[in-house]
Parts: sequence; C-alpha cells; structure tokens
Amino acid sequence: MGCDSVLSTQSSALQSMTTDELEKLLAQQPVALLHRLARGRVHRHFRAGKRRLIELLLQHSASNRAGFESDLQTLIEGQGSRTEPGPSRTHPPPTIAHKKTSPRGAEPESAETTISLSAWLEGLGVPSPQPFVPDPWQSEALSALNETDVVISVPTGSGKTYVAVEAARRAMEDNRSVIYTSPLKALSNTKYTEFSRIFGPDKVGILTGDRQENGQAPLLIMTTEILRNLLYDAASGEIDVRLDTLGLVILDESQYIADPERGVVWEETIIFCPSQARLLLLSASIGNPQDIADWLTSIRSTVCRLVRHSKRTVPLRAGYLHPNGKLTPLFRTLGIPYGHPNQLHPEAKRLFLEYEEETLPSGRPRR
Amino acid sequence: MPPSIHPVDLVTALRHKHLTPAIVFLTSRRACDEAMETFDHADLVLPPVRQEAIAVALERITVQHPSIAEHPLIPIVRRIGVAAHHAGHLPSWKIAIEELMRQGHLDAVFATTTLAAGVDFPARTVVITQSSIRKSRDFTDLTIGEVQQIAGRAGRRGKDLVGFAIVTPSPYIDLTVLTKGLTGQPEAVDSQFTISYPMVLNLLKAHPHEQIQGILAKSFAQFQLNQRAELLEQKLDALHVQMEPFGPRVCTDWITQWQTFDHARRHRHTRHQTHRSESPEISARLPFLTPGRVVGLSRGRGIVLRQYRSKGQKNSMLTILRPDSAVTECPVTSVKEVFDRTYDCAEIPTYPWCSTETFDRLSHQLEELPPRLPVLPILVSTSSEPLPDAIVQSLGDFPCPTCPSRPACQKDFMTASRLRQEQQRHTKSIQALRTSLWHRFQERVEVLQKFGYLTLATQLTIEGEWARLIRIDHSLLITELIRAEAFTGADPSLLAGIFASLAHDDDRPGAFPRISAGLSSLLGQVRRLAESLSPYEDPPLLRADVAALVERWVADPTLTWIGLCRLTTMAEGDIYRLLARTLEFLSQAQALRSTHPGLAESASHAITLIRRGVLEELP
Ligand SMILES: Nc1ncnc2c1ncn2[C@@H]1O[C@H](COP(=O)(O)OP(=O)(O)OP(=O)(O)O)[C@@H](O)[C@H]1O
Ligand SMILES: [Mg+2]
Repeated sequence: MGCDSVLSTQSSALQSMTTDELEKLLAQQPVALLHRLARGRVHRHFRAGKRRLIELLLQHSASNRAGFESDLQTLIEGQGSRTEPGPSRTHPPPTIAHKKTSPRGAEPESAETTISLSAWLEGLGVPSPQPFVPDPWQSEALSALNETDVVISVPTGSGKTYVAVEAARRAMEDNRSVIYTSPLKALSNTKYTEFSRIFGPDKVGILTGDRQENGQAPLLIMTTEILRNLLYDAASGEIDVRLDTLGLVILDESQYIADPERGVVWEETIIFCPSQARLLLLSASIGNPQDIADWLTSIRSTVCRLVRHSKRTVPLRAGYLHPNGKLTPLFRTLGIPYGHPNQLHPEAKRLFLEYEEETLPSGRPRR
Repeated sequence: MPPSIHPVDLVTALRHKHLTPAIVFLTSRRACDEAMETFDHADLVLPPVRQEAIAVALERITVQHPSIAEHPLIPIVRRIGVAAHHAGHLPSWKIAIEELMRQGHLDAVFATTTLAAGVDFPARTVVITQSSIRKSRDFTDLTIGEVQQIAGRAGRRGKDLVGFAIVTPSPYIDLTVLTKGLTGQPEAVDSQFTISYPMVLNLLKAHPHEQIQGILAKSFAQFQLNQRAELLEQKLDALHVQMEPFGPRVCTDWITQWQTFDHARRHRHTRHQTHRSESPEISARLPFLTPGRVVGLSRGRGIVLRQYRSKGQKNSMLTILRPDSAVTECPVTSVKEVFDRTYDCAEIPTYPWCSTETFDRLSHQLEELPPRLPVLPILVSTSSEPLPDAIVQSLGDFPCPTCPSRPACQKDFMTASRLRQEQQRHTKSIQALRTSLWHRFQERVEVLQKFGYLTLATQLTIEGEWARLIRIDHSLLITELIRAEAFTGADPSLLAGIFASLAHDDDRPGAFPRISAGLSSLLGQVRRLAESLSPYEDPPLLRADVAALVERWVADPTLTWIGLCRLTTMAEGDIYRLLARTLEFLSQAQALRSTHPGLAESASHAITLIRRGVLEELP
C-alpha cells in the first residue's frame, strides 16, 4: 500500500462489508494497527496475538459496527499518509478540471508534473445557491445524540453550529433546557445574537461573571468557566433547580481542553456535567479525538460516539506570494498534498530561496 | 527587495486575481496598524456603490454600538474596504468588522494570529506571513493544529467553490513549519489538568475526602496517565516473561544475594553509607525486607507490606502483616529471621500498602505457611571498613560456595539483575503515573490546612466555606488579603484598583504616573503578602499603572472613555479587557455577601461604577 487509490477503494468498500470481508481486511493489517484499533475496545489487548486479536475485535465490532469500521478506515488512511509517495500511474495527469467536491483535498501527483498558476487559479468563484441539506456527519451526530454523548471533530468551517442549533431545538421541544458554552466572551456574544435570531429573543439568555441577560431562558449561553462554577455550586448543595431539567450541554471549541491555563476548566465541566444531560463536544480537527471519546465513555453513563472527518467541505489550495507581487502555487499539486510536505512547487521553492538569501545574509532567521 | 510585501501591493494583487475577501494575518498589532497607515493615500478606492454600501452598513452597526462612531479607521474602511482587527481594538469595533466581513463588504482584514482561534469570520483567502506566534513573551513555532485553524478560515461554505491559503514571506518565516502545518495531521491534545486551591475546596465541600481520588481518576489527565501506565504494563509483562528462567533457585532470592555480594566486591573501598546508626547486620538485611517477604518476629511470623523511614526512629521501619490479618508497625530490629520466601505483592501508596486482593491472598498464604522455612543467608559487610580482601578472595566469585546452583547463578546474574532493575523502574513509574494526581491534591490539601481553610480531618473551616467562592487566579492571595482585613473600609475605587492589579496579567507596558497615596500603600501591602505566599502561589504582576487607571475610572464618574484612554499609552482594547477582567474579579468578592457584607457592598458599588459608557454596550 502506498498508493492512495488502493486505499480509497478499500475504504469506500468498508461501508458495505460482510464480516468475512472485514476479517480478511483486518488480517491484512499490521499488528500495530490492530492494537491501536483495539485500544479502549479490547481489555488488555496487548496480551493477544494477531489471530486472537482479530477474533476479539470482530466480537467487539458487532456492538458498533459503523464506529468500528470508520475507525479502521481512519487508521488505514493515516497509515497510508505516513508511507512515502510512490509514483502513481493509476491517476490521470493533473487536469485543470475542477471537481466541485474533490474527494480528498488532493492526491499526490507524480513527480514530473506540476500545476500551472492559471490552472491553480481556475475554478474559484461562488457556488450556485443550493437548498440546505445536512451533511451525513451532521445527521449522524444528531441521531447519535438521541442516545449518547457525542464528540465531533471536523475541520474549521464544516458546520458544527448546525448540529448545535438542531440539537438545542430538539432538547427545547422536549421541555429540557440547554447550555451552550464557548471559550471567549466575544464568541458568546456572537452566538447570543445568532441564537436569538434563530429561536427568538425570549428563548435565549446569556450569563457572564457579573451579569445575567434573560437568565431564565431555556437556552443559556455562557463561557465554560461560568458553567464550571454553576456545577460546583450545584454539587455543594446550593442547587440551581434548573440543572434538573438540563437536557443538553454543548461545549464549543472543545480543543481548548489543551489550553495550558484554561484547559482544566473543560475537564472539570465534563467531570461534573449532570449525568442525565447529554454532552455535545464540538472541536476543530485534533489528532486524538478517539481518546476524548474513549475518556467520555469511561466516565459517563453512555458510550460516547465520535463523529469525525478530516476532509474540508470547501477544498483548500495553497499559494506563495513573493514580495515583488509574483504569485505561484505553493505545492506542485492543485490541492494541498496531505501527508507530503515536501512537494513544493519549483517556482515557489526558487523564489523563497532567493528571498532567504536576500533578507538573511547571516543564515537562519532569528525567532 | 523589501522584507515583506507592501500592504497596498498585497491588496492590489489579491483583487487582481479575484482572491478577495481575504484575512491577512500579521505578527503584531503594530504591523496591522502600520498596514492601515499605508492605505491613507492609496488610490485603491472602491467604486462609489460599494463605498455607499459600507457606509450604510456601518451606520446600522453604530446604532447598536455607538462607541465605534468616531473610530479613526472608518474613512479607510469606507474608501478602500480594508480594516484592522486585533486585540488592541474594542470588542464593538471587532464585531463591526466581523459583521462587515460577513456581509461581504470588505476586501481585506489585517488581523493578528492570536485571534485566529475561534473567531467567526471566514474569507475566500487567508494570507499567512509568519510561522511563529508570541506565547507569553517567547515566540514559538505554530503547531499543525494552529496552522490549520488559520488556513481553515479560507473558503466560505456556500460562498466559495475553493479557498486559498497564501504564504507571503516576512523576515520571521520558516517555510517548513507552514508546509508541514498545511499538509500534516493535527497534533494530539494533551490534558493540562492542574489542581488549584479553589478546586480542592469545592471538591471537599461537596464530597468526602475518600471519594476525591475517584473523582480525580475521572479526569482526562488520569485517562492519559493510564494510557502511559498501560504501555509500561505491557513492557512489564514482557519483562515478566523474560524473567521466567531466573525464578527461585536454591534460594528464592538469589538475585538480591548476588547483588549484595557484587556490590560489596566492587565498591569495597567506597562503601555505601548506612543510614544513621544502623548496624551492618541490619543494613545488610534492608534490601531483602521488601513487600511480600516472609519474616520471623519474636512471636510468630509475618509478611512485609512496606519499608519506610520515620522521624524519631533510629532504624528503618516495617509495616508487617501478622496472622489474623492484623497489621503492625515495627522497627527492622525486631525482625529475628529473614526467610527465603517471598510472595507477589501489588503495592499501593496508602494503607494497607497493598491492594485488597493482595492483602486477602497474603493473609491466606501466611496461615498456610509450612512450620519450617529456610532462612535466608545474608552477607554482612562491616560498614566502617572495607571488606578485607582476604575474605572477598576466599569467597571467590560467589557468596555461597557450596551451593549446587552456583554456576548457573554466576552465569545469569548480570542479565537477571538488569531485568529486575528494569522491572523495578517500571513498577515505580507505573505507580507514579497512577497516583500523581492524588499526590498533587494532597499537597494542596496540606497548604490549605496550614493556612486554616481546612481542618486536619479535611473539612472546610469557616474560612474555607467562603474562600471556596473565590474561583479565580491568585485565589490564595485574595482570600489571605480578605482575612488580613486589607480591604476593610476600602472604598469602591480603591478596591477596584487593587483588583485590577490582581486581574491584569499582561506585561505590555502602559504608563500612568499618578497614583493616590492610599492605593500606593495598599498595593505595597498586597505586594508584601504576595511575596510571602510565593512558595504556594505564583504572585501576580501587580502593576501600579493599571491599578491607578481603574481607580480613576471608578472614582471619577465624569471621566469619559476618551478621557480615560488619554491617561495611558495602553490600547483601547487592553483598557477594555482590563476593566472586564476587573469586573470578573470584583464579582467574586461580591459573592461574599453573607460573610463579608462590607467588602461585597463595596465590590458591588465598584461594579456599577465601572459599567458605564463602552462597558455597557455588551452583556
Ligand atoms: N449542510 C450544510 N450545507 C451547506 N452549508 C452548511 C451546511 N452546514 C453548515 N453550513 C454552513 O457552513 C458555514 C460554516 O458553519 P459553522 O460556522 O457552523 O462552522 P464551524 O464548524 O462551527 O466552524 P468553526 O471551526 O469556524 O467554528 C455556515 O455558513 C453554515 O451555514
Ligand atoms: Mg463554530
């Protein structure tokens, strides 16, 4: 493996796979990958040999086949991106034809071909208006939320807010209250405006350290610190009755859990989140969302569902702009060559070297 | 060639290639402001229709946020459709720019990277000019996650078919950081769990002490520590297998025997010192008196659960499991015999020092011991003098010359002892990983006991009951100040000034020379206390200038926002944040209504006085 096309056929085949096929696929994987897959699924998996491991994994997969297969897929893909690019004959040479939704950003192109500036600039523009159809991952997250906590890890700008809004709407229709937290006051204010517009001003309130606006509304927006404090007060008996009717807690920008100063607040909030309330964690792409989901599973009453993907909805291209105004693609490929940082466009490389030589007579930049 | 592209050229190039609207991320606020200046006389003016549209949109926003009405950047925004957006600006300005961006009125916004995370305004294009970011005084390379957060602003769903991330070099750029960032997988996030004083107080308010360890175990921190421990356990399992050929021989613990001997032989001139005044016989025994060892006491036998040192005791101490599951403490000197028999013992750091299963099993095994057990021969070396060469030589390479397994032991000793050392190291690390959070918690508990917020039985004292409501940075300093009555009789402006100096953690300089005598002397008191608490809590910056600034704002209700800004060199946005943080801190003091009514009332007064003008615009 090393050729992406094999991987993609493999992974798309995953969706409709019989147990036999799954077993075969597992058998083709290196043991290390199986162990990684077994983490959090199979107790003391490291004791098992490959055959036994596959057996145990298959047993486990029965309970959550979709999640299992998607993890397997992610692992196989991750593995593919670590291997070196081989010249891939199966791909047609890069064309300027722009696909509206290219399947995976860009595939690494063969070494000889490089994209031209005009090809790189082609296809930009405004899409024709489309009726709103939720993405599969959005629907998946919403239906999972009926039963379990959910962690979402998707790239910036994918549409996490839609999931938050729909989930909040459903909880409120059920007469349960909702808390939405963001890490920054500024973001809270933006969401306050946005949600008030969606649900009507009487349905939405905001809590800050020293002020309450519509504090009895069913949907409350606050910073994560404020929620943590509420939970502490509830735990020590100064009960805010409304926590009993709390049906959903949405923690936006959950990747803040890794913030050196404030990350601890996300942990406290999650640890003390009432068990009857569903937790919805919205996060940008991070490296180990499965760990977060496994963690939630280990401390909450339901098995947390992870919804993730790393494909950007609007494809991204990278360029290099020289100080003299000359623009060139940054990479050889049309899209971003994920997993291949060295595929620099020769023109970008040349210009940058020139820049470094001119601006830094004495070697590397000070930083 | 210029070190980086001229902003006017940049916008021209972007417009020409239809790459607008764009967000241009620059290294500093200053760079953003300077970029704005370059547009002063630029002839990049927008067609009148767009200028008009911007004017209308701005007017609409101004109704809600009057503080932007006079903003010096408005002419440039209207004429050219570019703006700056950074932490030096008021929130209302940033909201206005974000709104204009969302409505598609602007061509470029110059912003700092600090704002990239979580800010809600995408564009068609993102321009990246740097590969590092200022994090508390130092520049560090952007992580893959950060590069993708920045680049990810490009390409608006429903408005763009494609998004563009354009790198343009500046003298501080490292291209590989960016290419790796653009093409790589974001980093795994790691827990940053810390245990603060308020956390301890609030946990102990709601839960009995013995439940806390279980609560800490629910943290993501512990989840990740467990992952690491599991890896080590895996290694330990492997070591176990490797150790199999080196199990009990003629004497069960032949490895320790050999180690002692080896040690004596090799270091016979630099003898390791014995503890205190333990006799050579006793100190030679110590390495054998490890958990799981069967020993003979003056009455009956027992199994060692732990070895420790205790103040006021001359000798090392042992915790010993006695028949009928009794546990006793005794000095090593009361051990009469060390038997050649050990059992597995899963150690834990709290009483009874081994897991429940181990405890039950050991109790059982102790009852089942045969009446006669082989005694372990222990090589005793006199501590004061090196072992006489004659003796060492007479021993040859071997402490037990007549033993039949001697050749095997001699051959295996090196490997076996290395493996065992590794085992011990891993076991220790695993234990540390499993218990470190609990230890950190205990450390905090001890400090809180020392200061009288917790009783020895870890109940909240009267002081602890209110102190737990102070859930902000520097909580210990604040509660200690309250207890020292530092704020008694302090009027709202004085209180606000002090809280401002506690709340403000930015070291960006800003000058405000005049400070009132009252504030100055109180600040001195705060500084001295902060200093004395520094072993327990990092002291705040306690800047006098920000204290004085906030004092003025509260003391003089006729002072306008513009007037306040003129008093200092700080940026508007920084003054706003200073006041907002001060409000947050004051609201914690306000929560102490029932125990400290005077303080709470003064805080509440200060809050009302701070909230005026610009600070009233947002919830
Ligand atoms: N299924 C969909 N089809 C079309 N557009 C959508 C869909 N879901 C969301 N969007 C649009 O995508 C845009 C980005 O959504 P949103 O702000 O929720 O992203 P996000 O994932 O929260 O990103 P960020 O990381 O910036 O917070 C919005 O304009 C939204 O209307
Ligand atoms: Mg969002």
